[in-house]
Amino acid sequence: MLIRPAADDFRVVGDALGRVFLATAAAALLPVVWAIIGREWHPLGSFVLMVGVFVAVGGFLVAISRQKSDPLKTAQRGLDWSHGMVVVAVAWLVVPAVGSIPFVLSGHFASPVDAYFDAMSGLSTTGLALVADLDHLASSINFWRHLLHFLGGQGIIIAALLLFAGKGGTTLFHGEGREDRMLPSVQSTAKAIWAVSFLHLAVGVVALSAVASVILGYSWNRALFHGLMIFFAAFDTGGFAPQSTSIGYYHSATFEAVTAVLMVAGALSFGFHFRLWSRSDRRYTGRSKRVDVSDRDANSRWSLLKNLESRAIITTFLLTLGFTLVGLAAMGAYSSVTGLSRQGFFQLLSAHTGTGFATVPSAEMAGWVGLAFGGMAVAMALGGMASSTAGGVKALRIGLTVRAITDEVRGDLLPDGALVDDSYYQFGRRRLTAEVARSAMVVSLLFVALYLIGAAIGIVYDVPLQSALFESVSAGANVGLSVGVTDQAMPVLLKLTYIVEMWLGRLEFIAAFVLVGFIYAWVRGR
Amino acid sequence: MRRLLTLAASATFLVVLLAPPALAIDVTAKELIDDGAEYDGMTVTVVGELIGDYGQRRGGYTWTQLNEDPYVVEPIARDGRPAGGNIGIGVMVPSPLMEGLDAPGRYRQVGPLVSLTGVWKYHDPARHGESFLHVAELALVRRGEALSEPPDWAALVGGAALMVGGALMLYARRRSEQST
Repeated sequence: MLIRPAADDFRVVGDALGRVFLATAAAALLPVVWAIIGREWHPLGSFVLMVGVFVAVGGFLVAISRQKSDPLKTAQRGLDWSHGMVVVAVAWLVVPAVGSIPFVLSGHFASPVDAYFDAMSGLSTTGLALVADLDHLASSINFWRHLLHFLGGQGIIIAALLLFAGKGGTTLFHGEGREDRMLPSVQSTAKAIWAVSFLHLAVGVVALSAVASVILGYSWNRALFHGLMIFFAAFDTGGFAPQSTSIGYYHSATFEAVTAVLMVAGALSFGFHFRLWSRSDRRYTGRSKRVDVSDRDANSRWSLLKNLESRAIITTFLLTLGFTLVGLAAMGAYSSVTGLSRQGFFQLLSAHTGTGFATVPSAEMAGWVGLAFGGMAVAMALGGMASSTAGGVKALRIGLTVRAITDEVRGDLLPDGALVDDSYYQFGRRRLTAEVARSAMVVSLLFVALYLIGAAIGIVYDVPLQSALFESVSAGANVGLSVGVTDQAMPVLLKLTYIVEMWLGRLEFIAAFVLVGFIYAWVRGR
Repeated sequence: MRRLLTLAASATFLVVLLAPPALAIDVTAKELIDDGAEYDGMTVTVVGELIGDYGQRRGGYTWTQLNEDPYVVEPIARDGRPAGGNIGIGVMVPSPLMEGLDAPGRYRQVGPLVSLTGVWKYHDPARHGESFLHVAELALVRRGEALSEPPDWAALVGGAALMVGGALMLYARRRSEQST
């Protein structure tokens, strides 16, 4: 029997949602400042309106969600697992809706659906775009587009946790598709994630701006602008760019190289970053029982390469790169080895990390067939590491699924009674239980289903099979590469399909399913 | 006779030297993007708006972007309607040709409309697979223009009112908590 959510459940959810909106309002003040400094008065009004809506909605929810003191109750109700999931799922629908206000008022979008599409694309770090005349867009709105990547990639929930630390943080944390808690508390982990992000922000922006200024010859303020925008989009594996020709605008191998480093950094899990830059593993293993530190090399940075996830992502990257390069060579797309290598490597890296930057036009990429198409599509579908800003199935799930299958086969081949080693290495030795394997396989299958459903809807609208599949995978895996299907002229239902794909892919399904269950229980429960 | 032949040869040489623009094919940026391989190595002429940045690099060349899309005629900041994405190509222009041009197209700035003639390089091996127009000649068609956009007072006032409203609700809740 379904139990209808009680008034207290709504209060708990409303209070947490209100706090998330208030945290987002604080972040949304940044483009206000940008517009004032840049004297962009028209966009300024739209940003003030957006902040006002966030504050009003957040303040209203927090105000009405106050639980009445009851002397019979020993404690106020806190956020439990299902509440946390509902909060995350709703926040990821409402934040882009309010965040699209400046887009709608800019005049650069044909409809509010298009504006919502871009806001969802930004927040989910996808990078597909329906903006019209991007090359004349106000710099403050461009900044907001890219800041959405940063907020989505680093986690608006994590930001809210830092601002309003309280009960239920763990469920909010997991609801955003993050599984890797590096430090004992969620708050300290959230701080560590933002510390890693700001360190990369400083180094990344300086490096990109230096290249843009010294090598590309841009004025210092324009170099800084490009450096900041591309950093947000690369490190958060987003894919928006300040110019319509994406990274191809810069015509520079050096700029691409720096961008590539940032894309890789974005596709690594925060746990990987944290251990890479920590002096010792003891800081996080000392108080945690999750990791078996008996491994002799557990404190070595090289042990990171032993991780099942690291080996899985290196293997899939090399395989898909090989497919793509061989495919491009077979097509005769490039007349030189260096051209083939540079262009093939960059597009594939962009696809596998889930970034979505391109140095070739989408019309040209639409002509990539055979192995080149296969390599790109598979790379997009697989994605980066778990608990990173990248989307897709994720390398850890691929590794676990392959490992579970090979263990099963080995078990069948060995004599009866022989024991199969069912452990794997991931920041220490762990057991591959049936539950872990099943969980990895279920989510992997859900992603495959998502890609196929999106492609099927594209085909219904007469999009060719290859293009429909490519675009659906790109949306569902939060990549952002396009072969030209994503366009203002595409049917509204297809736009909505990709919006749902971006949302589901970013939340990795569970939070969305819990929200549906919560609504169903509210309607049909007793 | 020899003098006559020398004169004729010199005249022919001069004609060939000064002739390239006349031999150029008129194309659109979209044609170069969609069928880039067909025009590889050919001298073409494209008309469009210079966009983004003038990146002056070593070697005496300036890199920028040439857009040829509906916004060249009707920018959104001047009541143009959304009409799809931008259509642009990379262009490499000898820096002396860029002298005196207005700022490139950006927010509130319509870039100069120019006619560029040069060789279309498709997946150029010398630049590791990049595609761009290597410009030899630039002709200004229309000067750039600064645009203005008035403040959106309704949004500004509405947003400020909502902020005050939200803050008051939070204040009321805090007061209520303190009183219980």
